[in-house]
Amino acid sequence: MIRRAIPVALAAAIALSGCTSSSSDMPACTGTGENLFVLMAQSVPSATQLPCVAELPAGWTFAGSQVQSGLTRFWLDSDRAGIHAVQVDLTRSCDTSEGVGAPPGPDETNMEVFVVPGLPPSFSATRFVVFNGGCVTYRYRFGGDAPPSLTVEAEEALSFLSRLVIVRTVRLDFGLSLCGAFAAECAG
Amino acid sequence: MESTNQPSDLSEEHRRHVLPNVGGRHRRPSGQPPALPHVLGRTGRFWLVMIAYFISVLIGVLIFPSAARLFERFDSMRLRGFASLRADWLTDPMTWINTLASRWVIRFIRWGTILALIAFKRWRQLWVFIGAVIFVEFFTYQIALYMARPRPLDVTILAGWNGYSMPSRPLAGLAVSMVGAAYGLIVAGRPRYRTKWVIAAVLGVIVFARLYLAVDQPTSAGFGAIFGVAVALVAFRWFCPNDVFPVSYRRGKSAHLDVGGARGEAIVAAVRDQLGLEVLEIKPVGLEGSGGSTPLRMLVKGSGDRPERYLFAKLYAKNHVRADRWYKLGRSILYGALEDETPFKTVRRFVEYEDYTLRLLNDHKIATPEPYGVVEITPEREYMIVMEFFEGAVEIGEAEIDDTVIDEGLQLIMRMWEAGLAHRDVKPANLMVRDGHLKVIDVFFVQVRPSPWRQAVDLANMMMVLALRTDPDRVYRRALRVFTEEELSEAFAAARGVASPTQLRTMMKTDGRGILERFRELAPARRPVSIQRWSVRRILLTMCVAVVALLAFALVASNWTVFA
Repeated sequence: MIRRAIPVALAAAIALSGCTSSSSDMPACTGTGENLFVLMAQSVPSATQLPCVAELPAGWTFAGSQVQSGLTRFWLDSDRAGIHAVQVDLTRSCDTSEGVGAPPGPDETNMEVFVVPGLPPSFSATRFVVFNGGCVTYRYRFGGDAPPSLTVEAEEALSFLSRLVIVRTVRLDFGLSLCGAFAAECAG
Repeated sequence: MESTNQPSDLSEEHRRHVLPNVGGRHRRPSGQPPALPHVLGRTGRFWLVMIAYFISVLIGVLIFPSAARLFERFDSMRLRGFASLRADWLTDPMTWINTLASRWVIRFIRWGTILALIAFKRWRQLWVFIGAVIFVEFFTYQIALYMARPRPLDVTILAGWNGYSMPSRPLAGLAVSMVGAAYGLIVAGRPRYRTKWVIAAVLGVIVFARLYLAVDQPTSAGFGAIFGVAVALVAFRWFCPNDVFPVSYRRGKSAHLDVGGARGEAIVAAVRDQLGLEVLEIKPVGLEGSGGSTPLRMLVKGSGDRPERYLFAKLYAKNHVRADRWYKLGRSILYGALEDETPFKTVRRFVEYEDYTLRLLNDHKIATPEPYGVVEITPEREYMIVMEFFEGAVEIGEAEIDDTVIDEGLQLIMRMWEAGLAHRDVKPANLMVRDGHLKVIDVFFVQVRPSPWRQAVDLANMMMVLALRTDPDRVYRRALRVFTEEELSEAFAAARGVASPTQLRTMMKTDGRGILERFRELAPARRPVSIQRWSVRRILLTMCVAVVALLAFALVASNWTVFA
């Protein structure tokens, strides 16, 4: 009976199988993980900026990424704010209608920033950074009694890389065009 | 020292049986293929070569970055060619075709196949299907992460995608699911052959659509499709060969081999060459009573003063060895070392042992079939043991049982006790009655110097079989003429649960008279003999199996994103 039940249990896992993909490669602003940046650039070809991780403060870790057409997503875990305390999304556009304008950070020149505060008890907030051809959404979901000041640490950890850098690298490495912003026109 | 051509103790009658038609035998010279050569198949070899080719390319690309550049440019050039075909009227159908590789279609195929395999109780196919899918999902995922190949460059991508491109995971997932479904559900031969062509056509069209939409590079699409097809094909041919686990919608046990076609011809040739007998007809018999081998009745041509006659044969293959291994592992975990639980390592050892036990019982004048010898069908993979067929005999469950048969059954057990043997599989299917006399067949489980527990169980099982067609009181009275009350008491204290074969337990349940309980009432009271044996080996074995199961579960759980 058990011998027959195991395939049935595994069947459920397989039947739910799809083609989702997540990677533990970190999009570091130093440029390591170049292929991940190429893939991110392909996910939103119009985006002129790509979100990246500058330097992780103590207590923060990179928790994985998921890249698909139309969306790049990655997460940061915190030993105080919990798992997936910060979720970063790169999309073509985002709905900022409920947001309130806020001053851009030091790495956010020529970008518009909107903030949507969350509701207590635990801290949550959403920050939209809109730029030419794309939008990055930071979703803060802190667990327990994590102080809101941790967002400062998270914001210091996150930055942007210009798509132009990746377009040039691809041109140099392969002699091919990374279709989209800053790139030569592509076939089709 | 006296030297003779024939062993002096071999009677003329025995020689006629054991060495029939010596002149017809033919030794297979070195280099000549066996009766049924083991072949993976031309297509199987082709797909293995394709996998080896792609893996070597992957390694080459990882070691030499210039090779990666070369492939990227090659793929972009090809994709520009596909992009030049783009037209508004063609893009919509191509987009629709691409949805056939979507996760929902793949899930539908997998669910459908899994449910169908469960419905038809085709457990072996189910295991292989699940294993092939997990293998493909896991490895394509890992390869994709390791290769980290972005989506096509230089061409605008017109469809949705997910993750890195090499290999194409949707194509690999679709290919392994479709080919697995074909091998698990479609009957071999023309139906499956046609299905494979349909699958090839479907995959071809989807690959074209994905290249047209520039969602995959040609090499990524090719590797994905080939990997999926190859894994399913090789997995089914290797672990679930059609002639051992045929897909059939007729009733029958999965352990039985198909004895038609090439195997049937091989059996005829092998029996002629190795035993010197001309086989006129082969027919599977008694399949419902046998799960461990494929029992056959063979009609052989008469020769000299020997008329045309039937012989009995049992065909053993590697799956029987594996089944024996799993069975003994299960027993060792559930009950401990009740008796010798060492599994057989090869099919050859399997048949050698049965041939030995047949000869041993014949030496002790126990009424078992006379052995004719072992026939090699495929070296190290399939062997057949040939023996006398009890023509006109009926299974004890369908025969008239008189005191003679009861006495012979009891005497048989006593004779085995005296010879230091146990049959270990005393059940109605293994006891035949011919001309009012009892014969015992299927001696594969016979053990030399068994435990006293097993000998006692043999006695209890024999008495229960005899009582099924008569009544317990009568059998018990006859038994007292051969055995002591203490021995009978021990027998029924030992006969508990798995000690009795499944067929006997089922028949006792159907009978409903409470035969075992009646025997226990008749025999002097005795504390039940425990069938649990605890040892360090049993504990370690159980822990090992638990750890392996946990690792397998952890493997799936840690890669849940691949599956869910």
